[in-house]
This record gives sequence, structure tokens and C-alpha cells, in this order.
Amino acid sequence: MEPDHRDHRCHRPSAFDKMEGLVREMQDTEHGGVPVRSQKLFLTSIPAAFMGYDLIEWLMERLGIEESEALNLANQLCQYGYFFPVSDSKNLVVKDDSSLYRFQSPYYWPWQNRPPDNIEYAIYLAKRTLRNKQRHGLEDYELEALSNLRKNLANKWDFITMQAEEQVKLSKVLKKGDKIISDSQERAYWRVHRPPPGMVTSLEQCPVPTRSWNGSRTRKRTIEDGRREVELLKNSLSRTRVKVSQALESMVQHVETYAEYDPLITPTQPSNPWVSEDTTYWQLNSPLVEVPTEKRVRRWGLSMEELVSDPTGLQEFTNYLRKEYSHENIRFWMAVNDLRRSAQSQIQRKVNEIFEEFLAPGAPCEINIDGKTMEKVHQEMKTPSRFTFDAAQEHVYTLLLKKDCYPRFIRSEYYKNLLATGIQPSQKKRFFGFGQTKKKTSTSSAPNQQLLQQQPSQGASVTCGALSKRRGSDRSLSGSAHELAVSGVKDSKVPHSHSQSNLSDIPYRGDLACLPKASPVPTSVTSPVKKPSIAIVAGASTSEEVCPWESGEPRSRKNSAQLDSGSSSSDISVAVAEVSERVQRVCTLTQQHTVDGSRKLSTSTMDPPRRASVSVPITHSTTGDSSKRKVSSFEDNSSAATSTSSSVFVIPSDTDNKSEECTSTNKTVVKNHGLAKACSVTGANAPIISVSSVADDLPPDSKEEQVEPTTSQEPLAPLAEPDSESPASELPPSEPITEVEADTEAKSNDVCPWEDEETCKVDTPFVKTYATLGYL
Amino acid sequence: MTETESKDCPTETIESLTKEAEALKKKLEDERQKLNDVTLATVAERLDIINYMNIKPRRTLKGHQAKVLCSDWSPDKRHIVSSSQDGKMIIWDAFTTNKEHAVTMPTTWVMACAYAPSGNLVACGGLDNKVTVYPLSLDEDVTLKKKTVGTHTSYMSCCIFPNSDQQILTGSGDSTCALWDVESGQLLQSFHGHSADVMSIDLAPSETGNTFVSGSCDKMVLIWDMRSGQCVQSFEGHESDVNSVKFHPSGDAVATGSDDATCRLFDLRADKEVAVYSKESIIFGVNSVDFSVSGRLLFAGYNDYTVNVWDTLKCVRVCLLYGHENRVSCLQVSPDGTALSTGSWDYTLRVWA
Repeated sequence: MEPDHRDHRCHRPSAFDKMEGLVREMQDTEHGGVPVRSQKLFLTSIPAAFMGYDLIEWLMERLGIEESEALNLANQLCQYGYFFPVSDSKNLVVKDDSSLYRFQSPYYWPWQNRPPDNIEYAIYLAKRTLRNKQRHGLEDYELEALSNLRKNLANKWDFITMQAEEQVKLSKVLKKGDKIISDSQERAYWRVHRPPPGMVTSLEQCPVPTRSWNGSRTRKRTIEDGRREVELLKNSLSRTRVKVSQALESMVQHVETYAEYDPLITPTQPSNPWVSEDTTYWQLNSPLVEVPTEKRVRRWGLSMEELVSDPTGLQEFTNYLRKEYSHENIRFWMAVNDLRRSAQSQIQRKVNEIFEEFLAPGAPCEINIDGKTMEKVHQEMKTPSRFTFDAAQEHVYTLLLKKDCYPRFIRSEYYKNLLATGIQPSQKKRFFGFGQTKKKTSTSSAPNQQLLQQQPSQGASVTCGALSKRRGSDRSLSGSAHELAVSGVKDSKVPHSHSQSNLSDIPYRGDLACLPKASPVPTSVTSPVKKPSIAIVAGASTSEEVCPWESGEPRSRKNSAQLDSGSSSSDISVAVAEVSERVQRVCTLTQQHTVDGSRKLSTSTMDPPRRASVSVPITHSTTGDSSKRKVSSFEDNSSAATSTSSSVFVIPSDTDNKSEECTSTNKTVVKNHGLAKACSVTGANAPIISVSSVADDLPPDSKEEQVEPTTSQEPLAPLAEPDSESPASELPPSEPITEVEADTEAKSNDVCPWEDEETCKVDTPFVKTYATLGYL
Repeated sequence: MTETESKDCPTETIESLTKEAEALKKKLEDERQKLNDVTLATVAERLDIINYMNIKPRRTLKGHQAKVLCSDWSPDKRHIVSSSQDGKMIIWDAFTTNKEHAVTMPTTWVMACAYAPSGNLVACGGLDNKVTVYPLSLDEDVTLKKKTVGTHTSYMSCCIFPNSDQQILTGSGDSTCALWDVESGQLLQSFHGHSADVMSIDLAPSETGNTFVSGSCDKMVLIWDMRSGQCVQSFEGHESDVNSVKFHPSGDAVATGSDDATCRLFDLRADKEVAVYSKESIIFGVNSVDFSVSGRLLFAGYNDYTVNVWDTLKCVRVCLLYGHENRVSCLQVSPDGTALSTGSWDYTLRVWA
């Protein structure tokens, strides 16, 4: 066989050192090796042998492994010829029983000496023909080999026979026991190195990479190599790295978020096709589907990358933007992606086409990029390549799509609809995923049972911070820490927006910021990683970057979302996040307000009003059926505010020190729903305020005061109820399943009233509220 | 430090450069250590232990007459292309275990094969030093339309389509990687930096990612910028050939498998090795590694016929998969993460789920 013909300089894998070390230990009978002795088999005595189960036991003990692994390892060693079965010359198999094995003499170990050549093999075979036919007769394949060798080595055949005769003569001198041993060892050696046809041999190697003993496996270094290496090392030295803890934390968070989407960790629903033979799962998850599964839609909420890397997601996104008359950005982005992946021959043409369509002055779908980027593009246009529009694409991607269109999409009614109408192959699965997320995310304990539902969202939000961070790093491998952090914040808005189960978080996140101070405050405190200040900056900048067509109102919302995401993107201790989540829950009602307020605002276009709150009540009363409907629904299930507060209490209690803070906040919240509402309004409309609140850790009181004036009128009552409602409903169903059901119901219900695209933006928060409540 | 002196010295020699590199390496290591404040297992302490995995063999694909050397999942999540030592390349419907195409290459040891993102094209190559693409169509002989895209000066060890049917990225025994234009066969970019055979490459998971990673017999793991052709990051640590590299789904880390019987995890942002996956009882080399889609599990195929499943975060082994009767040469998690395919020198492929 070919492997053994290779020259002896061939590379010796390190596995051989390890194997030999292990075998030597085995043979060291004085220090607890494998017991070797003469074994009686019927009437004959078999010298120097050990039993299979002794070997297995030894391995298990020595390496601390299970029987199956020990057996596998023993078989490997046997295949390599370190020991061999005494009574079975056909197979090199170790059994975990009393069958007998004998150690190979180190002389015959693989890679000890030069590989065997054909002359030696011929001598060995010839020798056996000279001996007792019964015991030493050749197998068919050996006979064939012998005759071939005789042909090929005809000129040396005399020498070969002479050698064989000599060896036979010598062996006669040996004692019987020794003779048996050496015969068997020699035979085993050839069994390994010249295996019968069809048998695997472990010694066979891949012909490449070409390796040799002397270590010159690497090609000769040139000056060029040296320079390159030094250059690289210098660059590496100046690279900005993040703390290991930070990098690892974000990795862990990533994995936690995606565990739900990993079929090998969280079983797929309805079933894994490979296991069940049922391909429904694949049908439901084809690249392009009419109706995506709910889980898939939720996944789009994780990050923009998730959305655009899914063909259906991209399609829905494009549809949404088209309705908004702003799909030129995504089209440009796709066109540039396509360009980058085009055949070389197409590049020139495509570059021109893209330029004509998107960038030329007065182009049919002119995209909006800043002068500097434009300049770059013009420069690149001189030498068209697949990378010509990279700068512009990056600009469009991060500034327009990612920071503007995507979050809007995720908060939109359109997305809500998708989410609500998404197929749920099985409810059980939903629950399952949640449960898992929860378990993983929360270090805190039992009481959150009833809040199960919230966990995923929070899990997501936490993770997203990390995710976005990584994107940052992705973009520029050499990205500085600063850059990373900032980009993290940038993105983090996104994460929130999708908090998978209930997007509702988003709107009131802003509110949350001012309202239940608890969440942002402890967050920023605990988070060692990111400074809140960064978050604020990002938040502020966002608002400036917002597209012109965006009304002031959504902008503000975004801002608030951003801000809070900023805070959460920092490494929030999970527990804290949880608390905040709950608090949010408690304040769910606020959203409602936000909605109304925002709606109102949108009509009056952004007054960046602190007093926006004033308008709120009005809006509220005037809001269409939708709001009324919502209200009524609340009323239906309204439960006592007390229950709310109690539930609130339960929750934070398990989250150590933060809990106090939270609880107090919660209380206040509960007490003054009105103000809560107002707060939310403020949050929504006056981003600046909310930002500062986070930054300054404004005490709840101050907020309340701020709000106080606004608090008023009828809306209060209904609001209050929902408020209590949300947590209350959460309380009783400690069985998550019920929650899930409710959740689904809610989805199906809350779709229609706000379908109108136009009002979509405006409605968003409102809808969200509704959805959330439904969930609860 | 010597580097400043020799930097602009016109008479730089290999020796001086090597010396300089050594000094820089040391400095770099110090820098890295400064930020080394915690271990992965500690960070992952809060996670639940994965103590039970119900992964079983679900399919066995028989049809190769020789060692299976490489395989790749189709984007449709159920087809697999595999190549073998005898020069055969087979397209399987792994779900039904039917063979849909069988192509005989004019070479032995076809060490690399890959599906294009469209699923309509496969590429392969090996000891012929070439990368050849075959458009797949059911109605005619696929060999009629085969096209040689690029040629290396040594065997081709790995290939991958970088998110496009129009380009292909290859790694070779000539210690370089190269990006080719499929249509014209033009060399778009070559990547110099390894000092021995490149064994494995993998693309960064980002859609627009212009980054890939390579592992080589020089024990190095390098991160490359596809656009500039420059190496942007390097990782050392393995004590023998790096046989397999794979990006973590987060894009922030790469896992490697080596002849030194370990798998390792290198974090790009922390710029260092963050985990070693090894056990005393594991003494054979790793041929192939891949992550589950969340990145929690790392599958590794070994020369001792087994697949070890590692908990990436807790850095412990979750379980062992037995079944193959010879080395596991390649493995890959299916695109949707529902299954794991393994190819072996026992002439078979298996699908686990």
C-alpha cells in the first residue's frame, strides 16, 4: 500500500508521541500498568498477554473517561499496532472482555524505524513458507503478494531466500515461549503495514501536505516574508483591543440570543425534518414565503443584518419602504451588493448603471448622501471597480437604513402585522424558546415565573447591545474600542426595537427612561462597559440624522428608544434588565398615552414640547375607535391596582440591591398612573428630557413633578386600569402556556384597525401598547 | 528594541527581520495579556449546562468508492456535494440519500468542493492544483460545461464561494489564497502571508463581509481583508498544522482545529486566544470544525473516527458521536442548523440530527 512507500523523512504527527507515552505507561506494570501475565487458554499457556477488560479499565481510570471512549481509544492503539489480539490474526479489534492481547515490541511500533520495505516483506513471507504449514501457512492475499514480489524482486530473490533461511534457523534457538511471542509480534506488524485487502489501515496518510522530518515543511522565508510579517506585527501592536471580559460577554450574549434559533439546541417546530421525515419545517421556512413564521419575523427584529439576509425579510422590508416611497435606499444597497458579487465583465456596466440610477444629479432614484461621500464616489468612478460605491453604501446602510428605515420598519404597523399573522407551527415551541431564554438570561429566581413572557424581549435587548457592538467590529477589523462602543450604541436602538415578543417596549422605553427610572439608572450604574454619556450622544445625533420625511414625532420616539437602548446596550446585569422590563410592564398604560400624544403631535408636527403632555389628554379623548376599543378592553379585565403593585414587588425582590430602587419607582408609578402617562408623553416628545433623565439619574420624583401638571382628566381612569391590568394578568398565569395563548390571541385581534400605512407611523406606539396589553 | 534600528536600514536581512519580528511578537503578547482579565468559562458560568444532546445518525450516504475528503451543504439545506480520493464528486439529495450527479475528475484526492450560493454551481479541486466549476443541470452531463477557473502552483486544499456565484476563493498548498473571477478565470486578488500550506478558509458571516480567515501548516491563523489583499490579524497558539478554521456565527471569533488534537477559539476583538478545547484522552488530530448556528456548540471531526461536540462557552465536551469507521475528514452544520453532515475515510457520509 502506498503510504508505506513514502520516504522515511515523512512527518510524524504528534499523536504518535502521545500514543507511545500512553502505551509505555500501560506496560509499566510496576507502577500500575495493565496486568500482563501468562494466560491459560484451555490447555495451552499463552505468554505475556493481557485481557481486554483490564485494558479498558486501565484506560478509563487513567484518563477519566467512559467505557465507550476507552474502547474507541483502545481500538485506535490496536489499529496502529501498539498491541494486538493474540488469537485473532484477522482483525485488529479490541473487545471489552476476557479476550487476550499482547503488546507489540517497540521495535515494531509505527514511526520508530524507517517504514518497512518490500524486501523485508518478502523475507518475512518467504520465511513463513519454510515453516510449519499449519501454523505459518500464508493467506491467499499473502500468497499473491509473495508471487508478485518474487517477480519484481527476481534479481534479489537469492538473497531473500538466504535471509529467510537464516532467520528460521535463528528462531529455532529461541525458547518456545519467546518464539511464540516474537512470531506473533512480527505477524501483527505486517498485519498493520501490509493489511489484507479491504482493511483500513490507520497508517495511511494524505499525500499532502508534504511533510518531512527536518522541520523544513515551511517554504523558505524571503525578505519579502520578513517585511510582511514585521509590518503585520506592527499593525497588530497599534490595534485597539477590547478587554477579554467585554469581548466574551458579548459572545455569550450572542449565543444566548440565538439559542432559540438553533435547532440543535432548541428543537424546531413543528419538527426537525431529519428526525421526523416531515419536511413541513422546510416548507414553512423556504427562502421566499407568502407568510413567514412568527419566529422568523421575530428574528428580523434582532438586527438589520438578520432582516436583510433573509430573502423574505428583505422583500417585506422593501415593500414597506416602497409604501413609504423611500425604497431607493434599500434598492441602492442591494444594487451595490450585487455589484460586488458580479462577474468582472459586468463591473463597468453595472457601475455606470448604478451611478445613473441613484447618484447622478437628477437621477430617477437619487439617494441622499452627504457631499463628502459623494466626492469619494466621484473619485472612485474614475477607476470603476466592485468597490466603487462602498463608501456610499456604507453611508446609506448605517445612516439611513439601519438608523432610520429599519427601526421604523420594526416599529411599524406593517411589521406588527407580519408578526401577528406569522405562522406558529406550534405554540409549545414558543413557550419552549421563551423558557429557555429565560433560564439562561436570568440569574434571578423564581418569582419571574409569571413574567416569563417578558424575558425574551429583555434577553434580546441585552444581547443586541452586544450584537451591534460586533457589527461595529465587523465593519472595521481594526476598529478602535471607541468606535465599537459607539456603534454599539447606534445599533442598540435596533435591538430594542425588536425585542422579540413585544415591540411594545420600544415606545415606552423612552418613557421608561423618565418614568421608572429604575431601569436606566441601575443599568448605567452597573454597566462597566459603556458610558451612558455615549448613549446620549448617540441618541442626540440620531435625531439629527433622521430623514426629512420623518415627522418630529417618530423622531423623538426613536430618540428615546435610542437612549434607553444605549443604556441597556451597556452590559446590564440581567437582573436589572429584568426589573426594568417589569417596570415597563407596569407602566404599559403609559404607552397608550404616548400613542395618543404622539398622534396628536404628528398632526401638529413636532413641537418639541415639554408641555406636549398637555396635548395628550385631548388627543386621548379624541382618538378614534381604536383607542376606545383599547380602553374598553382594559376595563374588561381591569384588576385592582393593588395586585399590580404587589406583583411589582415580587419581581424586584429577587434582584438584590437594585430592587429597592425599582420597587420604589414602581410604587410611584402605580400610584400616579396619570403622571406615568404624562411621562411617557414627555419621553416621546421631548427626547432631550428623557436623555438627560437617564444621564442624570433623575430621581423619580422630579420626573413626576415634571409630569404632574399634565396628569389629568378622564384618560387617567382607563389608563390606570390597564396599568394594573398588565401585571395583574401576568400574575395569575404562572403557567407560561396561558400567556402564550393570550399572546396569540392578542395578535390576531390587534391587527386591523391601524392598517392604514399612512397613519402607521403615528399609530405605532399605540398599536404597540395594545399588543402588549394583549400579550399580558 | 531592535525594530527601530533596522526599520529603515537598507541592508535588512532575513535574520534582522526575523529578530525584529520576534521582538514585536513579545511586545504584542504583553499587550494582549494586559487585557486578559477573565476566562470564557467564567463568563459563561451563568449559563445552563448542556448535559443532554439527542443527536443521532439519521442518514448514511453510501456511494463513494474511496475516502470522502470534503463535503459542502447546498443552500437548499438538503443537498450535499462531496468529493473523494478517487476523483469522484457526488451530488446527493441527502434527505432521500439519492445520488443526483456523479462527476469523475481527472485527478485523485479531490480535497475541496463547494456549493455556490445559488445552488446551481459547484466547484472542486485537489491534487490537480486547479479549481474547476460545474454548473448543475439535470438534463445534461454536467461535465460538458465544466470550467477551470484558477490554477495554483500546488494542490488546492479548500475553496469557497464568497456570497457570489461569480467569484471563488481558494486556499492552496502553495501557501497562498486566491480570489478568482469565475467567468473570466481572472485572478482578482491573491493573499500572501502564510509560510506553509493553507489547509482551510472560511468567510466572515456578515452579508457584506469582506473578511475571511485561513489556517495553515505554519500553525498560524490569519484574518484577511479580501478587498485589499492584506492580512489584518494573526493568531498563534497551535502546536501543529491548523487543519480547519471557522468563523463563529457572531463574526467576532474563529474556531480552529489542529493536528495537535486541540480546537481553539480566537477572539478578534480581544485579539487573542480565548479558549482551548482539549482533553487528555483526545490524542488524535482534528480535521474539521463547525459551529451550530447559535455558536453554542462546536463540532469537531477527529482522526480517531469520532466527532466531539464541545460547549463553546463552557469549554467542556458535551458528547461524542461514534459511527464512522475511519477518520472523520470533514463536517459541516447544515445552513439552517437542523443537521450535521460528516464525511469520512470509511467512504461514507453521515447526517446527524
